[in-house]
Amino acid sequence: MSLLKTPAITLRSRRWGEADRIVTFYTLRFGKLRGVARGARRLKSRFGSALEPFVHCDLNLFEKANDHLHRVTQADIQESFAGLREDLERMASAARLANLVNAITAEGDQSSRKFETLLAGLRALQAGHDPGLTALLFQVKLLELSGYQPRTDHCVTCGGELHKTGEAKGFRFSPMAGGLVCDSCAWRRPDGGLVLSPGSVAFLQKAGQLTPEALTRLTVAGPMRRELDTTIEAYVTVVAGKRLPPVDFLAAEPREPAYEAKRWP
Amino acid sequence: MSVDNQGLLAQLIRELVRLPGIGQKTAQRLAFHLLKTERDEALRLAEAIRAVKEGLVFCRRCRNIAEGELCEFCRDPKRDHTKILVVEEPSTLYAIERTGGFRGLYHVLLGSLSPLDGIGPSDIRAQELVDRLKDGGVQEVILATNPTIEGEATAIYLTKLIKPFGARVSRIAYGIPVGMDIEYADEVTLIKSIEGRRDL
Ligand SMILES: [Zn+2]
Ligand SMILES: [Zn+2]
Repeated sequence: MSLLKTPAITLRSRRWGEADRIVTFYTLRFGKLRGVARGARRLKSRFGSALEPFVHCDLNLFEKANDHLHRVTQADIQESFAGLREDLERMASAARLANLVNAITAEGDQSSRKFETLLAGLRALQAGHDPGLTALLFQVKLLELSGYQPRTDHCVTCGGELHKTGEAKGFRFSPMAGGLVCDSCAWRRPDGGLVLSPGSVAFLQKAGQLTPEALTRLTVAGPMRRELDTTIEAYVTVVAGKRLPPVDFLAAEPREPAYEAKRWP
Repeated sequence: MSVDNQGLLAQLIRELVRLPGIGQKTAQRLAFHLLKTERDEALRLAEAIRAVKEGLVFCRRCRNIAEGELCEFCRDPKRDHTKILVVEEPSTLYAIERTGGFRGLYHVLLGSLSPLDGIGPSDIRAQELVDRLKDGGVQEVILATNPTIEGEATAIYLTKLIKPFGARVSRIAYGIPVGMDIEYADEVTLIKSIEGRRDL
């Protein structure tokens, strides 16, 4: 058994057993890892609110041999990001960043740049930047840092020149291929139908280059914002291998009822 | 002690392990206990489980568990029908009821919103609460959702939803647990308790 100490951000936390929680962290020093916090739901728990989603804390854990579930021994809040849990839009955007990191990162996969980017995204949301735009920008950045930067210089399948397509005056983006595709490749791909305007392509390139701190200076609105939202959503779904909970969770589809019992009409 | 994982006993243990707070060891102990228990006594447990699953319904008004159309609280004319206390789960309702400190009616959401899991308003019994307010006669709604991100999201959403109906909307206080030294409270709890202060 060894003691690990690291700055960490809580990605999610779920009830476990009678009074415990299993918490998924993205940590600065060890990447993504999961830990069990014994007694976290009890009245006099020493963890208090330090393990709530989005909290940035200094984390102490015990690593157990042959077990990828660590034991959380202490968590001291560095930044509580309380504002992200008091507003539905900010909450939803923060949730998307946490869900994306969780979905595209393997346990133990360390990257201090990814940690700093997630932290910068949460800080931008806390500071009051437009939640939807902030989610878009930081998703692009997090994808790039995870090796999924959408390719925009040449056709991602054949490496050929890109041309603006016909009346649409844009480029074709294939989420499955992970970037722009030339006309002849787009023609052969079933998903090659998303059109990105030259402005949107420039936006993606710029977002990939800027540092996390400078990212919020970039802005986009109107039809360009909508086509970028659609494209990144489709691409994130491919990269994550599943549809992530929607950023607009208030419009989420109903699920199976948690309680199975007779209902009055 | 370990049991092969094919037989009838192993199957019982597997089912017991699925219950909250029951680990492998406890499940084995319970299974062997049931094995030694008299047939009638053991089957009473099975029968009680069946009765609950088949006989209980949700109260048509508040969505608490009920045995008829209305639950015991909604049926009771001595309760204060002008106050509604909103909880996520029936278990919270009974925890509050045990205190004897609240004499109004309840509304059970049977869930909570979760931005992290994509659980939206169509998964909770929020519209039913709105319908009760539309019917009139409710003067105060007290939100008693959990102090977690899900409970917070639910409270924010409900406040916006029900404010237009004119009833007073309040939320139970969050803060320092009784019996705890203030200096040991974490930052968020401390701020919540200052925000939730009241005049003396
Ligand atoms: Zn090509
Ligand atoms: Zn009722």
